[in-house]
Amino acid sequence: MNYLLTTLTKKQEVDSMIRDTIDKVLVLCFGRASDSIFLQLDEILYKSVREVSKFATVALVDIDSDDVQVYVKYFDITLIPSTVFFFNAHHMKMDCGSADHTKWVGTFLRKQDFLDVVEAIYRGAMKGKLIVTCPLPPDRIPKFHLLYEDV
Amino acid sequence: MPIQNPNPNKKKKKHSNQDDDEDDTVQGKQQTQFEFCKVCRLNHNQGRRHIYFPNHKKALSSFLYRFQSKFKNDVAFYLKKPMPLRPEHAALNRLWCVFCDFDILEYDSSFACGNAIAHLASAEHLKGLKSFLWKYGGGMDRMDSFRISESDFTKWEKKCKLLKSEAAGGGSHGSLIGPLNDIHNESKSEYVNSFDKNKLDCLTSDVKCSNSVVPLQDHTIERSQISHSKICTVGPQILHAGTGVGLGARTPNGLPGFFGNQHYTHSVPKEGPAYSCPNDGKQVYPYEGIAIGDGHSQGTSSEESRLQTQENGGGNVHSGAPPPWFSAAEKIQLDNKLNQGLGDLVSSLGEQMKTSKLNPKRVGAAWAERRKIELELEKRGELVRHDFGADWLPNFGRVWQSGSRKDSRKEFLGENKTWRKVDSQIEKPSQLQPYISKRMRTENTAE
Repeated sequence: MNYLLTTLTKKQEVDSMIRDTIDKVLVLCFGRASDSIFLQLDEILYKSVREVSKFATVALVDIDSDDVQVYVKYFDITLIPSTVFFFNAHHMKMDCGSADHTKWVGTFLRKQDFLDVVEAIYRGAMKGKLIVTCPLPPDRIPKFHLLYEDV
Repeated sequence: MPIQNPNPNKKKKKHSNQDDDEDDTVQGKQQTQFEFCKVCRLNHNQGRRHIYFPNHKKALSSFLYRFQSKFKNDVAFYLKKPMPLRPEHAALNRLWCVFCDFDILEYDSSFACGNAIAHLASAEHLKGLKSFLWKYGGGMDRMDSFRISESDFTKWEKKCKLLKSEAAGGGSHGSLIGPLNDIHNESKSEYVNSFDKNKLDCLTSDVKCSNSVVPLQDHTIERSQISHSKICTVGPQILHAGTGVGLGARTPNGLPGFFGNQHYTHSVPKEGPAYSCPNDGKQVYPYEGIAIGDGHSQGTSSEESRLQTQENGGGNVHSGAPPPWFSAAEKIQLDNKLNQGLGDLVSSLGEQMKTSKLNPKRVGAAWAERRKIELELEKRGELVRHDFGADWLPNFGRVWQSGSRKDSRKEFLGENKTWRKVDSQIEKPSQLQPYISKRMRTENTAE
């Protein structure tokens, strides 16, 4: 799997990742390697990792691993790929016009989109805001339907 | 661009009674007329925005504080205990009302601060106060601390009448009151003196008799005056040393050299005047360095050394002799502490420069600081890394959750427990057995 970024499979790894990323945005992408969209996301992330390295860290999490199921449930991950943003162990929400502000669902259409999103998160976090608005125009945001809790 | 006032010109014409220097009505938008802000003593063309600027707020708070202290110490005291005013003390008893912009004189009042109290209780003062607070944004809730309520005023008047009647009634009483008043007034006059005149006047008399420490402000002025005459030739050199302290990271050599100056100031006085100190060019001018170092206050070490160099008795302040109560043993201890402090300073300065720039209000700032310290300690090996446990979960705001994030975690953990219970119940495996029909069973039993 050398075409993927650092993939985390254990809860403890995820924990240490969250706790050790200080004053930087942590981008956690949940998905499975067999999914093409996830691979596309990985491609974009791989290209941008170096550029955001000063203010962001990127990691992938394998959904299929058992250890991580706690997180899958905790973060309500139902659609793949889902990206969750953290800053100083605090979860950052982003309002993209969809119903779910807690995560980013889907891939990014361009590398620049990803960079814009991460920058917006970082700027909001540095100002002390826990929720930020998405800088992308709605046509560049992948749409999805949120599965309801009772379903 | 900020939203402009709907009618900037109208408002300004009403309330600007001071200089109107320019009128840029050609531009027509905000920042037209210049006004004088009495609080900041500044001409500005920012209109109503000016009162919200932080500089103005600071100036306003100190401005009001000064008036309030005069009010409390002087007027409020006499409000509670009215005393007859003697004409010779009347000149000292004046008060400038900052809100109404006029001087309250006491020449014709029979009681101390009588006119002032009357003014502060009056309706005109209230009006002036309100307009001042509106114009300069003081906060309307603080009004009562700058005026005297009518009930207090009537109480004061009653007390005054009582005093008058007593004075008129008993001559012996009057004579008793006289000297009492004298004492009171004397003490008060000293008090008022300290208000109106410079504090230095009172202190210089103290200094002469008790050889005590001259206050800091005086000293630095004196020192700078002495050092200024010597500085001109060596200015740039010292500035380098000074900036070395300020920036730290750049000239590590400069730092010890600079502080080395201060070491020498302690040890030198025994030898005599420090100007004859040998060795490096830097150390020849220890005082200049310190005088400038005062400007660059870098932590407590420079302050300590500043205080040390200034507290000089027997030898001389100017020769840099230590104070008489400052024994040699203590000096050495302090020097050592300075050294240690230095070492820590230099190493952590680099880090401090970085951390000090980060916004303290950023998300998770407190957590980040704690975590950094933890990691540092772990690196040094002092703190054993303790695992947070398999059940640690980050701060997460869930989708279908209303309430704080801590609640979401609790909710999740609660859900988790029920989920685990359900799981364990399901996990009891039901052993699969082949189906035997009733007939078969009965046939078996029958057989």
